[in-house]
Amino acid sequence: MASAVAAERLRLNVFGHAYMAVGAFVIVVLFYLAIAAQITQASYDIARLQDQQRQLVAEQDQLRYQEVTLHAPAQVQQQAQQSGMQRVVPSSYVQGTQVAIDLTAPVGAQPADTTPLWLRAVATVVNTVGGTQNVQAATKH
Amino acid sequence: MSTRALASRRPGTVDRVGSARLRVLSMLAVALILAGMVWTRLAYWQVAQHGRLAMQAQAQYREFVELPALRGAIFDRNLTQLVVNTTVYSAFVSPDQVAPEDRDRVASGLASVLGVDRATLLSTLQSTAKFAYVQRRFPKAKADQLRAMKLPGVGLQEETQRSYLPGIGSGTTLAANLLGFVDWNGDGRYGLEQYYQKVLAGTNGYISSYRDLANREIVLGSHTHQDPVNGQDLVLSVDASVQYAAEQALAEGVKRDRAESGSVLIMDPQTGGIVAWADYPSYNANDFNHTDAALFKDNVLSYVYEPGSVMKVVTLSGAMNAGAITPTTVINDPGYVKVGGYWIYDWDRRNHGNIDYTYVLEHSLNVGAMQAMLAEGHANFYNYLQAFGLTQKSSIDVAGENFVPPPSVAKMQDSQFATASFGQGIDVNMVQMLAAINVIANGGKYAPPHVVERVGSQLNPLLMQPQRQVVSAATAAQMTQMMQMVVQKGSGWTSRIRGFELDQAGKTGTSQIPVNGQYTQDVWTSFVGFLPAQHPRFTMLVVVRKPNYPGSDRDWTLNDGYMTAEPIWKQIAQAMVVDWHITPDPR
Repeated sequence: MASAVAAERLRLNVFGHAYMAVGAFVIVVLFYLAIAAQITQASYDIARLQDQQRQLVAEQDQLRYQEVTLHAPAQVQQQAQQSGMQRVVPSSYVQGTQVAIDLTAPVGAQPADTTPLWLRAVATVVNTVGGTQNVQAATKH
Repeated sequence: MSTRALASRRPGTVDRVGSARLRVLSMLAVALILAGMVWTRLAYWQVAQHGRLAMQAQAQYREFVELPALRGAIFDRNLTQLVVNTTVYSAFVSPDQVAPEDRDRVASGLASVLGVDRATLLSTLQSTAKFAYVQRRFPKAKADQLRAMKLPGVGLQEETQRSYLPGIGSGTTLAANLLGFVDWNGDGRYGLEQYYQKVLAGTNGYISSYRDLANREIVLGSHTHQDPVNGQDLVLSVDASVQYAAEQALAEGVKRDRAESGSVLIMDPQTGGIVAWADYPSYNANDFNHTDAALFKDNVLSYVYEPGSVMKVVTLSGAMNAGAITPTTVINDPGYVKVGGYWIYDWDRRNHGNIDYTYVLEHSLNVGAMQAMLAEGHANFYNYLQAFGLTQKSSIDVAGENFVPPPSVAKMQDSQFATASFGQGIDVNMVQMLAAINVIANGGKYAPPHVVERVGSQLNPLLMQPQRQVVSAATAAQMTQMMQMVVQKGSGWTSRIRGFELDQAGKTGTSQIPVNGQYTQDVWTSFVGFLPAQHPRFTMLVVVRKPNYPGSDRDWTLNDGYMTAEPIWKQIAQAMVVDWHITPDPR
């Protein structure tokens, strides 16, 4: 009986439904407007940044051209002349001398290992125990 | 009565009913016709004209923004950038957007920054025009100044421009005739810019979006987007320092020789890569729109000339390779000979007596060259012309090659063979001629001439192909020695470089210029050579057109290649010896 009364109190009249629908619609519209405003603001920001980027790219191109021009032969020569430098023709050249190297000749015999036997034995033990640290250092050429 | 009356009424009733039905049917028919007309019209607009109307509608609310591809850069062999893309600006004004009280301020502002005439600007602002350019393509610094002024009704339009390195003077840019330029439509014109247009230009992209009635972008509308594909970079075999040295020496030489023009072409003997490509006079590619179009013509590739005695290198090499002669074969040269009814003379018209072919080349004797050609035979001579690449285009990767094919072997007359043996009556361009002489420097192999070594990261396929053997390495070595003798004992003496006197190989060429079938007193002079002779680092050809060397009106031999072209060759070679650290051959 009590629950029936509560249900009766909660029951909305026709206007109540309409108010709810309008309220929901207004919320949706406000939400949409808020989102649209944000997006519009973002698009303005993007446009502004794109414009800024274009200007920066243009400036970068300009700087690159200046840099390249500074290294251009014409500029280098002009700078050199201003510094009092001038291109000179070498008065003499060092004549090359031919060196006879026969690349096809045999390399020759392997060098003999003159390490004493006891040192070799010690090296074997040390290497086995401690691992090879430096093979080259233990080999005489 | 009633029966009669009924009988008399029935037909009338039937008539009325019939006429009513007829009227209804007529109305229906009219309605159908009218509806049909409407439907037909509707079908016309909605079906037949659908495509056009849809496009018109799209044009109203759809915006298509092209995203231009970045044009590829061009580098030299040391990766020095030769061309840079820069942004330039064009200023425009919308007179109807400028209030009358602002006109003075706008005109003064534009005139002070851009240097345009203030009165002209004021008259433009007072006109009813909707749009007018104030100035095209000025640098960013000026654009920044204009932006800061915030002038009403004035706008800036960004455009991309190719900027080239400065050349030997304010009026030229480096390697202008080789590189060409890019016009305001973005199309490469002349030289490499034209030849490699597709590769350099890339493919433009686009953004397509929707706009409202106020031309604002509808952010939530659908967008389509295609990224641009940027153009590829080119890496050339050219050396910017050598190019500059060549342009400088050439300009000085042409002025000294009081010549009409001159050109220099330098090649890497092993690869065929072009190291320098210079023309004088040249032009400023950064200011092509104010340049006489005649200067755009590249004389290296588009100008054909008769090479003169430089051709004797080809003639004697072919004859030696065919086994018809050797450098020591002795002939008798009385100084003249009659061929095909024509008398042909040596340049000095002297009787040289018994001489060998090394002497023939040293002293550039026409009769000797002709005898060598006769010794190997016409067919062999022609085959060697083909093998040296003188009967077909060089096919170098630069736009605008001009080429005059010689007649076929069957159609050539005896006198034509005779004159061709010493380089007259046969037309070549400089690239063909240098590539032919380079065969000797390259051990008998033909290195295909080219300018671009790499496109993007791809190596030029030409560099990976085996080179064609034209003459044997032994023949090339013999000819090299003969060309060394030309420098040491013959007409090449003015090209000698200190320290390399024994290591230079070269040959002069001087030929009269024909006009309307008659040879005139004007000449083309040239010198070709390579250095060091046994291990060449470069092959160079210098051509001077119509020199008028001081004093040559009294002595025409002062216009010879040894006086005009050789000093230019020497000056450039000296610069290369220093820049490239070239040392003489070890001995």
